[in-house]
Parts: sequence; C-alpha cells; structure tokens
Amino acid sequence: MKQKTFLTTLALFLFFFNLGIFIVSVVMFRDMVNRAEDRSLGEHYFIASALIKDFQAVESRGTDIDGFLSSLLQPYSYLSRDNKAGLAFYKNNQLVYSNKNATVLQSNSLKPPGNGNRLVTIRKVDDRTYAIVSGKLPAPYDSYTLVYLYDITEAINSWSHLKNILFFAGLVLSVVLTFGLLLVLNRIFKPLKQITRISKDIANGAYGTRLPVSGHDELTEMSQSFNHMAEEIQRQMTELKDAADKKQQFVDNFAHELRTPLTAIYGYAEYLQKAVLSEDDKLSALNYIMSESRRLQTVAFQLLELANLQNNQITCEELKVSNLFETVRQTLYGKHAGKDVQIEFSSEIETIRGDYCLMESMLINLIDNAIKACGDGGHIIVSASKEAGKKTISVQDNGKGMTPEVLSQITEPFYRGEKSRNHGDGGAGLGLALCKQIASIHNAELCFSSRPGEGTTAKITFTTP
Amino acid sequence: MASILIVEDEAAINELVKRNLQLVGHQCTSVFDGKAAVSEMQHRSYDLMILDIMLPELDGFEVIKQSEKTPTIFLTAKNSLPDRIKGFSMGADDYLTKPFEMLELLARVEAVLRRTQKTASCFEAGNVKIDFSNHQVFHNGQLVECTPKEYELLEVLVNNRNIALSRERLLELVWGYDFEGDTRTVDVHIQKLRKKLGWEDRIKTVYKLGYRLEVDR
Repeated sequence: MKQKTFLTTLALFLFFFNLGIFIVSVVMFRDMVNRAEDRSLGEHYFIASALIKDFQAVESRGTDIDGFLSSLLQPYSYLSRDNKAGLAFYKNNQLVYSNKNATVLQSNSLKPPGNGNRLVTIRKVDDRTYAIVSGKLPAPYDSYTLVYLYDITEAINSWSHLKNILFFAGLVLSVVLTFGLLLVLNRIFKPLKQITRISKDIANGAYGTRLPVSGHDELTEMSQSFNHMAEEIQRQMTELKDAADKKQQFVDNFAHELRTPLTAIYGYAEYLQKAVLSEDDKLSALNYIMSESRRLQTVAFQLLELANLQNNQITCEELKVSNLFETVRQTLYGKHAGKDVQIEFSSEIETIRGDYCLMESMLINLIDNAIKACGDGGHIIVSASKEAGKKTISVQDNGKGMTPEVLSQITEPFYRGEKSRNHGDGGAGLGLALCKQIASIHNAELCFSSRPGEGTTAKITFTTP
Repeated sequence: MASILIVEDEAAINELVKRNLQLVGHQCTSVFDGKAAVSEMQHRSYDLMILDIMLPELDGFEVIKQSEKTPTIFLTAKNSLPDRIKGFSMGADDYLTKPFEMLELLARVEAVLRRTQKTASCFEAGNVKIDFSNHQVFHNGQLVECTPKEYELLEVLVNNRNIALSRERLLELVWGYDFEGDTRTVDVHIQKLRKKLGWEDRIKTVYKLGYRLEVDR
C-alpha cells in the first residue's frame, strides 16, 4: 500500500513536472524564434525601402543601377555591428552581392514567392542557425531580390542553456521530492504499522494492549474505535474466563461432594468385610454408611431440584401468608425441637403470588441457615411486609453474621461459609443456590445483608404485585 | 509401630482412616482442621501425617509448609494434575485420591514408612518372631526354614494383619500379576505356614473371602 502510493505519487509528479518544464521551454523557444523573425522582417523592410530610394536617386541621375549595387548595399551591411546580420542581393536569381558566407545563400528555397510577400525561414548551416528573410523589391525593381540573414545561434544557445538549467533543477527537485514523499508517507503510515503490531499482540493474547491516541484526525478516530474494540474483547474474555472458573469451581465442588460420601461408604463397607470387629464397631460403621448414603441422596435430590427449576415454568397462585407461615412453623418444629432458638412470625400482608411448595422450601432453607448461624439463644424474626410498594419477606437472625467477602458468594452452588467442607451442620451447600433460583423464577430478588457478630438478614423482594 | 497424625475434616473419613491404620498396629491421632494439626505437631513429633487439602482454618498446603519435614501423604478429593504436582513439589511423600482402597492406603503408608526407616525391623506375635532386616523367622527361638514365597506371603500377611485378604489379592501381591497357577497355590502355602509357625489359630480362613492374620491390637 505504502509502496504503491509512493510510486504512483512520484510517477504522477515526475510526469507533470517534466511536462511543465517541457512546455515552458517549447514556449520560450517559439517566442524567441518569433522575435527573431519579427526583427528580421523589420530589418528587411527597412533595408528594402531604403534601397528603393537609393535606386530612384541613382536612376534620376541617369546612371545604371547594376554598376553601383555594391556601393549602394555596402552601408547596410554595417547595420549590425556585431556581425550577426548578413545581406545578399540577387538579380534574376543571380547573386550580385553578398557580405556573408556564400554557402548559406546557395539554396533554391530562398526564392521568394512572386506576389510580393516575403519568405521567412529558419535554417541551420554549419552549426549556426539563421533566420532568413527573402523578398523581392517592389516594382519596378522586382527583378531584384533582397535576402536578409540574421544569426540566432546565440539566442538558441542561451535558450538551450536555460532549458538545461530547468531540467537540471527539475532533477534536483525530483530527488528532494522523492525523499520528502518517503518521509511524509512514513509519517502517515506509522499509525497503520502500529495498528498491525498491536492487533498481532492482541491476537497473541495480550488483551491489555492499547493504541496511543493523540491528535484529532481520521486515524485518531480509528485508534479510538480500535481501542474500544480491544476493551470489549478484553471484557468479554474476562467474562468468559470468570464463567469458566465458576464452572470449574462447580465441577470441583460437585466431584468433592460426590467423592467424600462415596469414599466413606466404600471404605466402611470394605472395613466391615475384611476386619475383625466388635458389635459396636460394626454398628458405628453401618451408621456411617447410612448417614453418608443419605447425604448422597440429599445432594442428588437438591441438584435435581436445581436443574428442574432452571428448566420448568411454575404455576403461580395467590397464597395466604398466614397459611404458609403455619406450615413452615410446623415443619421447623419437628426439625429443631432440641434447639433453643426462638422463631417469631409476623405478617402485615394477606397474600402473596407464588408456588406454595417452592415458597415453603425457600423459607425453610433460609430459616435453617439462620438457625445454624445462631446456635443456642438465637432469636429469628420472619416477617412479611410491604416496602416501597413491593411485597417483601425477610428472615432476620442475631447469629454470627458473615464478612462481605463470604456474603458475595453464598448463593454459588456448593459454596460454604468456611473454606472447610465440614458436614457437622449437614447440607451440601446447595440450599442458598436453590433459594436464589426459586426467587428468580418468582421474579423476586433475594438479597442478604450481614455484619460479622451481629447477624444476618435475608430479604426476598417481589416485583410482581 | 509408627505414630500417625490424621488431618481430615470429614469425621467419617477421619475415623475410617484411623480404624484402618489401627488394624495394622499404628498409633493414630485425629485432628479436624489445619490449625489443630500444626499445634499438634508442635507438641510431639509424628512418623507420618495423612493430610487432606481442603481443610478449615489452614489448608493442607499451608500445613505441610509448617510441618517441618514430617513425612506426609496427601489424601484428598483433588485429583487434578496441577494439584498433584503442587502436592509433590511442596514435599509430599505420596498423593492418594479419594475414593481410596484400604489396602492401597496401607501399602502406601508402609512404603513411606519404609523409606523414612520408621518400620519396625522386627515383628513378634506370641512365640513367633520375624526379623525383617535379615529375612529370618523364629518359632520358640528356633530358626524356621521358609521358602522365599512362604516368607513373602508371611510378610504380606503381617503388613496387612487383621485385614482379610482374598486369595486373588494374595496371589497378586506375592506371586505377581503374571502368575498362572490357581488359587490353590495360596491354600497350600498358607497350610505350610500354619504348620511351621503353629499359627493354626492366628491365620484364619474367612468364609468366602480368603485369609486373615489376627493379632492382638
């Protein structure tokens, strides 16, 4: 591209520049020739008219002109002191007088037309160029022909010198222009080169690379949009990477969730099969096998539920909040009978739109978590109310709370507050992921606010009235 | 026997590993998080540590950093290559992924202990004494003549004592994978050992399974 532009521009320039020089020199040449011809014509006319007067004077004295021709013509030969001009005089095509090199004049072409017009020619003889004017004297002396020569060699030489200077200057200018053009093109194409380099970098994975932006021209605009593109690519790559990381995390956690109970089940079964055991040992091994199987079952069930929620539409109906709370209370009563946790239900709204089973499952999950966070002496408030025109249900506890870092990840599947995967408090880490999913298919928003040591509040805000 | 620290947050698995190691006579201490493991090691030294990676408080990699050259076997659900490489590069002696088999765990523990020279050079049960360093077996103080296969079989039984070993597994462990004889070879050798050592009661036939060397724990 750059080379092409360079060659085309250079060729065009050289062509027109040299054409200009050529035209100028041609015009100058023509001008010079015209001037020489005009001058020669003038001289010729002057000499001819003077001669006629002389002839008349000679004839009036009754003398024959032919005998005095030389002496008559002599004075005019000195018209040009620099010996540039020459005269020749013919009578009936016979040279009768000449003050110049005869060879110049021995030519038929000097013969003027008969009608009294004068013939002007430019002729080159022996390296010298002459403007030649020949014309017959007017009647009654029309048997005489006067030829006037004017040497224009020097004028031509000076023209040719000037022309050479012009072409030389043109050559020098062309060389200067060539370099100038190269320089300018390099400047213009520098950003393009940069773009090529940087897009290669980006293609190789250096997504953070950017073009430097300066100035206010089209290239700047291009750089800006290029940078914008690079930013978008980088952003999307980051998003993809994050998604992949999350997926990897999910798969890791999932594998762990499956592997741990399987390891225990297999291990205890093998232990039962191969070792000598007391009745107590046997019973505890069997207990482990059963509880770990149950854990596997829970994971499988919750995963299935999660998958179902992602695929299925639910049927929403008006639910009585008081009924919902009563069911939840009864379920929890059986589950946490031994724990010293106070649960308080309060409701300011009558009904709520949603799927009964799912709402119940979500509330139980949230309250379960609250109970786990509290331990003994906990106080949990479950309330339904209207906030800013939107129905909300909140579960508030006075438990141990969470750091913001933990808070941001608690709805990820298999995430646990502690890095540990201790199952002392049960569950597979899917509960809140389920809650979030349930909330989202109800067009509701599930958010948590928490402070370490002060407790946590989970709030479900419904966007549907 | 060796003293072994088990660091594993899953109570069920911690207990399982402990019971398995106790079967073959090791002394085990269970801890359930990384911090407890570090402080336990400051109290006393252990011949071996069985370490999980995903642990509360301090993860396994942190624990091994602070363990001051206690031989370590990682026992973890993380089975990706980068994790394994990281485990070994941080100084683990072995890396075992869940789910694991009892015999494999015991074999690896045995191997690490042998490398770090913490295995007993002697084993005694009743009136039988086995000198592992000299490959000699004594019954009532009398040297007992054993064929190489008999000695190897005895060694496998002792290393996996209190655990039932199937005839196939015994064939594999003593005779090797490419042995073409049938499982009666094992029965014949077991009979010979019982006779030579007076272990008719100790080497039990386990119904439908194989044999087990029973030794008081």
